[in-house]
Amino acid sequence: MTTFKFTESVKMSFRSIASNKRRSFLTALGVMIGVAAVITLVALGNGTQKSVEQSLESLGSNLLILYSGQPKGGSLVRRNTTNIQPSLTGEDLEFLESLIPEIIRSAAPESSSSGQIKYSNKNTAGTIIGTNLSYPEVRNFHPVYGSFFSENDLAARKPSAVIGAQIYRDLFIDGEDPVGQKIRINGVSFVVTGIMEEKGSSTSDSSIFIPISTFQKYISGSSMYALINIQAVDLDSMRELQTYIENEILRLHKLPNMDAADFYVANQLDLLNTLQGVTSTFTLLLGSIAAISLIVGGIGIMNIMLVAVTERTREIGIRMALGAKSSDILSQFLTEAIILSVGGGLIGIFLGVTTAIGANKFGGMASAISGESIILAFGFSVVTGLFFGGYPAYQASKLDPIEALRYE
Amino acid sequence: MIKIENLSRHYQMGPTTVKAIDDLSLKISAGEFVSIVGPSGSGKSTLMNIIGCLDSPSSGKYTLAGEEVAGLSRDRLAEIRNKYIGFVFQSFNLLGRESAVENVELPLIYAGIPPKERRERAMEILKRVELQGREFHQPNELSGGQRQRVAIARALAVNPKILLADEPTGALDTKTGEQIMELFRELQSEGVTLIMVTHDPDVAAQAKRVVQVRDGKIVVDLPVGEWIR
Repeated sequence: MTTFKFTESVKMSFRSIASNKRRSFLTALGVMIGVAAVITLVALGNGTQKSVEQSLESLGSNLLILYSGQPKGGSLVRRNTTNIQPSLTGEDLEFLESLIPEIIRSAAPESSSSGQIKYSNKNTAGTIIGTNLSYPEVRNFHPVYGSFFSENDLAARKPSAVIGAQIYRDLFIDGEDPVGQKIRINGVSFVVTGIMEEKGSSTSDSSIFIPISTFQKYISGSSMYALINIQAVDLDSMRELQTYIENEILRLHKLPNMDAADFYVANQLDLLNTLQGVTSTFTLLLGSIAAISLIVGGIGIMNIMLVAVTERTREIGIRMALGAKSSDILSQFLTEAIILSVGGGLIGIFLGVTTAIGANKFGGMASAISGESIILAFGFSVVTGLFFGGYPAYQASKLDPIEALRYE
Repeated sequence: MIKIENLSRHYQMGPTTVKAIDDLSLKISAGEFVSIVGPSGSGKSTLMNIIGCLDSPSSGKYTLAGEEVAGLSRDRLAEIRNKYIGFVFQSFNLLGRESAVENVELPLIYAGIPPKERRERAMEILKRVELQGREFHQPNELSGGQRQRVAIARALAVNPKILLADEPTGALDTKTGEQIMELFRELQSEGVTLIMVTHDPDVAAQAKRVVQVRDGKIVVDLPVGEWIR
């Protein structure tokens, strides 16, 4: 097809589309909705994936957790360790700390217990967590007011406590300064040194952090740790590091293999991979549903184009009598179908992007518009026009001019 | 201009073969004005379709302006129609959504003439058929006679060798029909070859030569003076 004929086809198509605006709009609507749906749903899928990754990041980056207890395998979420017999020793922790800074960045032991917390006449329930000074960094969880307990508190087994945001709300009047105030945990008096930032998870926000040494003295009476949080140097070394730590802890515990182990290591990477797998399947699913609507839109175009070819049989006959070749008729109808689908596609992109942004701004849904989905949806709408417009256009081009001229 | 030799056109209608044109021979020279007459079913429409290169013969030869046309491809026939033949139909066959001048431009589009030149030529031809001032009217804003003039202008747009008219006055009143025939006579005097298919003897008598068709064969071929007698 020459440029000249292409220009003529485009002109004719626009005239024909303009001559029946409502029908043209309805025809393109299918593709519009299809393209908008692909972009919006993929954006929502991607947004979900991103927000899952982010909330995982907020647990602390490059995190390995060494848990007490029998390995059960496939455990993704942090286990409730309050009912498990702690099996990790001070020797384990010392070993891990000896790996700083080349192999690991830091290690924070953790033992926890549920407890009653009282302040003046108020009381609430929370999780009391004993840990060391590495905890805020390893878990990416910092105090927003006051400070974490100090080195000195840890060494001297002082009753210092950093309270979660929910605990503060439960015990104190809004605006009241808790630092220096005395609270009672399971009957023991503790001095508040700070408030932790809000994590949005009830477990984290209802926690109270105290020195591990103090925890062992006043709460558990045991020198064991329930778990040790380990921050790896980087993401790539995590898989190797996991195996290395497993082997070394087995040796320290004088155990033959992981089947007999009284500990296990959970890897943040596994969790990340699994969640990514889940969310990308989710995105794919949403995208596929949307793609189906795009196909339905294409069928709409084919349907209307077939009607148009029938309606305009006489016009086709006239054009053929005046010298239009099959290819001229083919390109005229094909161009019309492509303009409808591409026009629908462009409006669909606008609608899709607007909806995705709107869902994020006003609906509070996580959305991340992906350039790929825009290109894909647009490309698909072009192909839709070609494919579903092709058949009616071919039908038109193969009409017999004599029959077509006689058509009423 | 036109040389048809032993031409036949057969249709297969179920088990029977219909001989729409049966071993017909006909010669028309450049500048002639010929009427083809005959009752319906006589084969005159088929003959006209073949002359107009809309249909191909089953057998026989058809030479148009020195070129053998029988057996050419669809696309080649489209080119020949575009270049050599102008059609005028009983029901005008104008495109209803397009203005008079746009209708006249249609064959020029397929001839590959650029837009500006196309418009100039179409305007000129519309003036020739006395439609100045009506160029941008749509067909439904024009009278029957005016519409037929637009159709004739469209047929003339590419300077065809032959103007092929199928019952050109069939949808017009007598007076308007007369005006169209007057236009045809003028065109002939300017050198256009005119072939007109009609079943109306009065209209046929406006031509210079009358060819009468029956059962796919020519039964009478006379100058109009002798035919009237």
